[in-house]
Amino acid sequence: MTAVPADRPTDQDIDPRPRLTRLVLTTTGLVVTRLLIIGVVLLAWELASGTLVPKFWVSSPSAIFARLVQWIADGSLWRHLEATLLAMGVGYVIGCLIGVATGLALGFMPFVQRILMPYLAGLYALPKIALAPLFIILFGIDIESKIALVAITVFFMLLYNTLDGVRDVDGDLVEALELMGATRREIGLKLLIPATLPWIFTGMRISVRYALTAAILGEVIGANRGIGYLIEASAGQYNTTGVYAGVLVLVICCVTLTELLTRAETSTRRGGP
Amino acid sequence: MTRAAVSAETADGPTAGAAGLAESARAVLIGQVVVGVLFLGVWEVAGRQFGHDWTSLPSLIAVRLATWLIGDLWLHALTTATEMLVGLALGGSAGVVVGLVLGRSPVIATVLRPIIVALYSVPLITMAPLLILWFGLDLEPKIVLVTIVVFFLVFFNTFAGVAAIDGDLIASFQLLGGNRREEFQKVVAPASMVWILSGLKIALPYALAAATTGELLAARRGLGSLLAQAAHQFDMTGVYAALLVLMAMGILVSEVANRLERRLLRWRRAAA
Amino acid sequence: MPPRDAVMVADAPARDPRAAGVPKIELVGASKTFYVRGQEVTALQPVDLTVGDQEFVALVGPSGCGKSTTLNLVAGLLRPSRGEVLYDGVPVTALNRRVGYITQKDTLLPWRTAAANIGVALELQSRAVPRAEAQERVAQLIDLVGLRGFENHYPAELSGGMRKRVALARTLIYEPECLLMDEPFGALDAQLKLLMQDQLQQLVHQRRMTVLFVTHDLGEAIALADRVIVFSARPGRIRAVRDVALPRPRDVFKMRFTEGFGRLHEELWDELKDEVAKGVDV
Repeated sequence: MTAVPADRPTDQDIDPRPRLTRLVLTTTGLVVTRLLIIGVVLLAWELASGTLVPKFWVSSPSAIFARLVQWIADGSLWRHLEATLLAMGVGYVIGCLIGVATGLALGFMPFVQRILMPYLAGLYALPKIALAPLFIILFGIDIESKIALVAITVFFMLLYNTLDGVRDVDGDLVEALELMGATRREIGLKLLIPATLPWIFTGMRISVRYALTAAILGEVIGANRGIGYLIEASAGQYNTTGVYAGVLVLVICCVTLTELLTRAETSTRRGGP
Repeated sequence: MTRAAVSAETADGPTAGAAGLAESARAVLIGQVVVGVLFLGVWEVAGRQFGHDWTSLPSLIAVRLATWLIGDLWLHALTTATEMLVGLALGGSAGVVVGLVLGRSPVIATVLRPIIVALYSVPLITMAPLLILWFGLDLEPKIVLVTIVVFFLVFFNTFAGVAAIDGDLIASFQLLGGNRREEFQKVVAPASMVWILSGLKIALPYALAAATTGELLAARRGLGSLLAQAAHQFDMTGVYAALLVLMAMGILVSEVANRLERRLLRWRRAAA
Repeated sequence: MPPRDAVMVADAPARDPRAAGVPKIELVGASKTFYVRGQEVTALQPVDLTVGDQEFVALVGPSGCGKSTTLNLVAGLLRPSRGEVLYDGVPVTALNRRVGYITQKDTLLPWRTAAANIGVALELQSRAVPRAEAQERVAQLIDLVGLRGFENHYPAELSGGMRKRVALARTLIYEPECLLMDEPFGALDAQLKLLMQDQLQQLVHQRRMTVLFVTHDLGEAIALADRVIVFSARPGRIRAVRDVALPRPRDVFKMRFTEGFGRLHEELWDELKDEVAKGVDV
């Protein structure tokens, strides 16, 4: 270290990194840098499309944007979005209800739980998407088969979360209540259910994303409406612009959903103990 | 609940202990067999009684499975397994490398984090139609799909893991005399190992799902295509049989994932 | 030499007469200021401090008084905001690998067993030794810190005191000429603490090491050190310096009951107690 003026702190006390780096790391600097990166990628894509790479394979940002505007204008975007969100919402509610109910019931009956667990674990290990063809045959190409696929995906997440919650209940607490003379029903109502609630909420929060994925995958495998159908139908017509536009809608949905969930999580955490 | 359950079962006295547990384990096993047999029996009888266009019959499914076992089931299973393994190897190694590099450059990491998180929130399996468009019907699109899905899961976990390494651990190692390479070998890599492995563990079932999705959409071989072919012909027996095979594959995969974790993370288990 | 700092500590010690040659460690008007979200936080006010070769100096003071900052400066983990830190007369501008630093938090590698943690330094290029020799030295150190039988345990399976001893052995194994120790025996029970103090004392003597030892235990400081330095509460500066003129080798078990020890303890406690009270307010 060389001579340092006594009246000023050395540079490295603030930050040892070069000035440009420090500039990038300020709040506005970060936003600008990120926008710049995205801008450069889009620009490169636009310029490369039709010159370096055939437009047929990669489409171009401007074409994708135009397609999106067209979908919004002719109302087809809303029609498809509605179908996807409806399948997701209805399936989610059904899956949550059955999942929590089954989880609590098995939680109350450890013996039955131990008997059924291997069968449930086997079903759980099956990739859910494989059920899509079966559901399409059983429930038709319409929204019902997607609802079923979403419901079974969410069902398993809630089932396992609820069971984990019940399992996490302190055995000493159960014993203490038993000693007080509580009946099994009272133990369930006063201890197991309230103690399991946080786990159930966590499961509900996590499974929102899985519900969306399941709905869209179901539509990709076979449907006549929905964002997933939009993507698959465009691909079937060798229409890359449509595929990208569909994926973009999906990205926007996912990012919005994640953002909403993060907000919900922080606000509930603030309200909690 | 396990504790509560145990306490209820051994309530008649402390001596009931091990013997009681063994007895209850036997009871559970008997219960499992009874439930299984009952389920199949009811399915078989009800199917014969009321028609089995939609439900098929356990006996028919069993015969179909046996036929497949003699026939080309192995070929299909091998195709799916190949897609998974190649995708896991490519996506996993790329994910580890990129995760380690980005995790070690805090500035780039800070800049890219929201973009990465946004990408992570998108279910990449839905890229399947695009990939099939690009790469055709053969193995490639499924391998690419598995690779992409695995890459992101492993990358994200590795990235988070490197960022979570205790700075004091690195500082003290440097003081011991470690150079940058040794620091990477002996601190960063093993410390990230937990995260890399948990990324791989999460990625394994996704790899199967990705391969299956790709095969369902367009394929000539693979367990997913077996299922798709049966479904197209409304061959319910084939559909259920294929689902059973996929389930077996899924169980195998999750078993491998659990073993892998237990094997490699002995030091961590000690903490629990 | 840089311009001397305007703010000199009033009761800064004169140069230690024993350090006839170049002192091992020298802080010249060294201070440390952190910037936390644009706010200045002074961790250490300008300090002058000299540790001679083979001297054992103990730093005592309330928590948050800058003792650990001082060690970090000497180890080269931090740069002084003003002033200079010299080691063997040369400014410390990078990590100082000639010192062995035993931090307050044991930074053991959790995926290595106790033995593998102790031996890690000998695997490094800069300190590499043949495998057989490394094994032998690891075994010696395991005996020294009393961990026989726990060689193959992972850190998570060891108690806080055992981990501390692994950390100590890990540093001692490469025989650094100078030890920086940050409350190394804080987590140990009273009996083990005495044992470890005794071992450390013998070892330091045997290997002719220089030690800068941070502790909040005044008795420990007097028992071990040639010189005790009392720090004031945050922001830290030197409040008092006393030589410990007790003869060596010392018996850490019995010396607490000698008259010299008692007098010194009382004297230093008078200096320390106000600072401890101030520290509590923070």
